[in-house]
Amino acid sequence: MTPVAGSISSLVAGLWLLNIVLDTGGQLAFKAAAGDEDAGDGIARWKHMASRPWLWLGISCYVIEFLVWIAFLSLIPLSEGVLLGSINIVAIMVAGRFLFGEKLTRLRVTGILLVTLGVVIVGVGG
Amino acid sequence: MKRFYLIGFLLLMGFDTLAQISFKYAGTQALPVAASLEWVLRVFGQPWVYGAVIGYIGAFFTWMALLKHAPIGPAFAASHLEVVSVMLLSIWLFDEHLNTARVLGAIAIIAGIVCLGMAESREHVPENEPAPAEI
Repeated sequence: MTPVAGSISSLVAGLWLLNIVLDTGGQLAFKAAAGDEDAGDGIARWKHMASRPWLWLGISCYVIEFLVWIAFLSLIPLSEGVLLGSINIVAIMVAGRFLFGEKLTRLRVTGILLVTLGVVIVGVGG
Repeated sequence: MKRFYLIGFLLLMGFDTLAQISFKYAGTQALPVAASLEWVLRVFGQPWVYGAVIGYIGAFFTWMALLKHAPIGPAFAASHLEVVSVMLLSIWLFDEHLNTARVLGAIAIIAGIVCLGMAESREHVPENEPAPAEI
């Protein structure tokens, strides 16, 4: 799957999308692991989390995301990359809204729109 | 206690910045990108990737410690404002240029992060937060 000339930008876009999916998936998995009511406290809590899949799913997402992000940043300038990566904040809030019924207040919506606007400006104008 | 927060926030930003700079160096040295074992071996065969690992682990534990004690809003903002330090450092380290789109985009993103941090602060009204004098 070595990229040929001309396919770089679609490769970058694909890695960017994959990063969003993995980052959001990982965060949600950690949220599910940490939010377990009968987990207990201290070491017992960690043992409980380790015996269930959520923690491991989260870790797997992060390990793959680690590699995806390195590949992504190696193809574009770092200053552009970190700005485009900010979209993860938005993805997580929107996912939290749909999966955990977290409230989107007016201030949150404003924040989400501003971050999205910023990412679009960077994405279009480089 | 204020100084504890401030040091925590700066430490978090520092670890996140170290991770991003290391990611960039690691990726650049492992080019060309390919979905292959060879690429993964190239990534892990040079030292920068371990800087990224240290940055990640350091940021994780700093974040966990902050979440336990610091107000969530500023902690949230601090955990994302490394975009500023990373952008400034990439001009110096990687000879990158800040064009109009990047500057405008960064301003919008930072304003958005500040809004989200304020939203978090508002929703987590301190009910049973220990008084600073106790610590």
